[in-house]
Amino acid sequence: MTKNKPKAEGQRDEAEGQDGGWGWVLVGALFVSTSLVFGLMRSLGIFFVEFVQYFEESAQAISWISSTGLAAQQFFSPLGAALCNAYDARVVVMTGGCLAGLGLILASQATCLVHLYLTMGVISGLGWGLVFTPMVATVMANFTRRRALALGLGFSSIGLSSFAFNPLFQLLVEVFAWRGALLILGGLSLNIVPCGALIRPKRRSKSPEKINSESKPRASILHRVSSHLELSLLFERPYITYTLAVTLLNVGYFVPYFHLVAHSRQAGFSEYQAAFVMSAAGATDILGRVASGWFSDLGHFRLLHLLSIWTTLAGVFIMLLPVSSLSGSYPALMVISLLYGFCSGALTSLVFAVVPMIVGVARVMGALGLLQLIESGAGLLGAPLSGFLKDVTGNYIASFMVAGSFLILGTLTMATLPHYFSCKDPPPPQRPSPEDKDKSLQSEVEPSVTERSVI
Amino acid sequence: MQSMKLQHGMERELCLSVCVIQLWMESATRKLQGDTRAASLLQLKGEGGGLVVLLHDAASRETRKRSSERPAHRGDRGIIIMSAIRKQLSFQILLLFISCRNINTKTLGATAPPLDPTAPLQKLERSYVLKGDSHTEKVELLNPVSLVLMCTWTGSQNKPTNITGFWSKDGKEIENSRVTVQLENKQYNLKRTFSIASEADLGSYSCDFGGEAKINFVLAVPQMGDERDKPIVSYLGDSVVVPCKLDDSKPTPNTWNWYRANETGKEQIIAGQKFSIKNDEKKTKLVIHDLTADDSGLYYCGAVYGVGITMGRVELKVISFFEPLKPFIAILVEVIILVAAILLYEKSRSKKDYTAAGHLGKITDQRRALR
Repeated sequence: MTKNKPKAEGQRDEAEGQDGGWGWVLVGALFVSTSLVFGLMRSLGIFFVEFVQYFEESAQAISWISSTGLAAQQFFSPLGAALCNAYDARVVVMTGGCLAGLGLILASQATCLVHLYLTMGVISGLGWGLVFTPMVATVMANFTRRRALALGLGFSSIGLSSFAFNPLFQLLVEVFAWRGALLILGGLSLNIVPCGALIRPKRRSKSPEKINSESKPRASILHRVSSHLELSLLFERPYITYTLAVTLLNVGYFVPYFHLVAHSRQAGFSEYQAAFVMSAAGATDILGRVASGWFSDLGHFRLLHLLSIWTTLAGVFIMLLPVSSLSGSYPALMVISLLYGFCSGALTSLVFAVVPMIVGVARVMGALGLLQLIESGAGLLGAPLSGFLKDVTGNYIASFMVAGSFLILGTLTMATLPHYFSCKDPPPPQRPSPEDKDKSLQSEVEPSVTERSVI
Repeated sequence: MQSMKLQHGMERELCLSVCVIQLWMESATRKLQGDTRAASLLQLKGEGGGLVVLLHDAASRETRKRSSERPAHRGDRGIIIMSAIRKQLSFQILLLFISCRNINTKTLGATAPPLDPTAPLQKLERSYVLKGDSHTEKVELLNPVSLVLMCTWTGSQNKPTNITGFWSKDGKEIENSRVTVQLENKQYNLKRTFSIASEADLGSYSCDFGGEAKINFVLAVPQMGDERDKPIVSYLGDSVVVPCKLDDSKPTPNTWNWYRANETGKEQIIAGQKFSIKNDEKKTKLVIHDLTADDSGLYYCGAVYGVGITMGRVELKVISFFEPLKPFIAILVEVIILVAAILLYEKSRSKKDYTAAGHLGKITDQRRALR
């Protein structure tokens, strides 16, 4: 982690983050913490072989460990967002890092499978939930023009760390057996704590409105909690539309990760060829994240339009995957997989970058939390659905087709967002408040204000 | 098999002794009746040559004894008793004849094979046609077989009509195996039957054509797949599962055995409180509980086939929990140092801001004061 000297002192305006300086340090922190959350989750497969042998349970029972971890991370995201709104993001992320490490350390002492569910699943999942959303929201708050690039760089760590962690975990398991390896992983996860420490402590609380609501007598806890959780977002049409689109996207997004290798094997390619296709798709995924982040920041197109393009392309390529492999030609499968990898990486870095456009920077934290929670349902739906289709039809063509169509459906849903077809971004909605003196903004903001007042 | 032999032996003795008694009684009656020739003709058919003589002697001895013992009562009482006994005896003797004969032909064979005598050895044929100098052929065997090996050689440049061929096992020539091989259809043929019954019979069998050409048949049990070269690691006081598995293409063994390597060789592990063995067709697992430092070392899993055992090797290493604790504490120290550095850096920067702001405040105050 590099420490850049901060820019010249003066007033530091934190309402709209200025790019550069400390922002890039935070990008580095995001890089490290995301790799320790998602990169670690993706490489846990190496432990599963050991668990199956030691605990003598079925592979399905063991795979519930990572499902529990992922579900806990997504479920506790709104909690992390709310705590950041109420308190300090720095404290929340540091606590999350400690919990994630603690979960893995306790898991190294497990004597039965339930222990693993509770430690690696719930405790570490809670820790991860307290880390991811606050870090992403903090980075987004620190950038305006370079937001997508910053996110792309941060998320590229997921792909890179999968490459690095797989051999590393293999080595740890060989030298120390799974108990020692989990202990060391717990130590590695504690590295999230310095990442959290890099977040600047809040100089001022989230917004004066909080203090207003707090000072009201009998301003019930429920009211405060709902404002921290940004539950009011659930009543806004743009946000709901966008969340729905992202959920549909998530149903189909993970299907190739689960099934591409098996499908290639079924189409007649060897084990090595199938694994290589997967690795190649992973490499272009990393490239796609950074490239799309850089390109979208050039400002030629609206982020929303770019996101729609990438999502449509990814859907089309997913649908083309079974067609190319059935033709029997390995180069065709390789090309389509590379293109799919690029598009899926490209859309990942934009999915979160679009959120401030829809809800405004101030509410990004809560918006992300809720988004994670709602999209978790999609992940739970996608894999069993594709598995079911495979069982019914006997091959993967139907699953891939359905997955691709879900992505395209997501794009169509996004098209129903207000001001979708205008060439310029609408100004991001400001939180309507009596202090808003800008008359020109007010006229454009009024529709949204009237929407809210209707509700 | 041992017990069966014993049974046969005892039955045989019993049966024969009963046979002796009955036949003696029959010959005795015949003798009493003056039918000495019939008595001497009473003999057991079969290979029990010596026994016949014995019986004959016994019968004649008894008749002599009898005639010496009771000379006075030989008359009427003898006749009444003899006629009644004779009928009974002849019937019984007939029965015993049949059963004894059966047992005799079964047990009084040449060298008894060590296996189930009721099942003949399965026949297996292996052949190879050699065109060059030499060749090695692998033969995988599971159960005891009667193996017929056929070697055919197309011959070298000059094809003499007769050459000397012989068989050897593991490099040593088998006795009485030298034969003269004729050239038939421009080929030389060697054929021999081997009885492969136990692990000692496995090895490398070669047919040698006059020292010029040789075909090796390597007889072995199916070998274990590639062995795991890295040791299995576990912790003191923990339990560990040591697995062993055969390739799917190999046949299922009859059972699995586990061995522990010690100074003198291999010692079989018996399932109990410390060890449990779980077998599942082509896979086996040895579970060791309450590990101690002594449990480190080499373990062997043996797949038992009818004709031999194939071994796989696994190494176990038991370490204490301090081993991974060292890197963990190193990482912990690194994390604490980083956090402390970041917090200190931030404190120093905020102090600078504060003092800078203070200076700025002072300067503006001074400026105001000056005005």
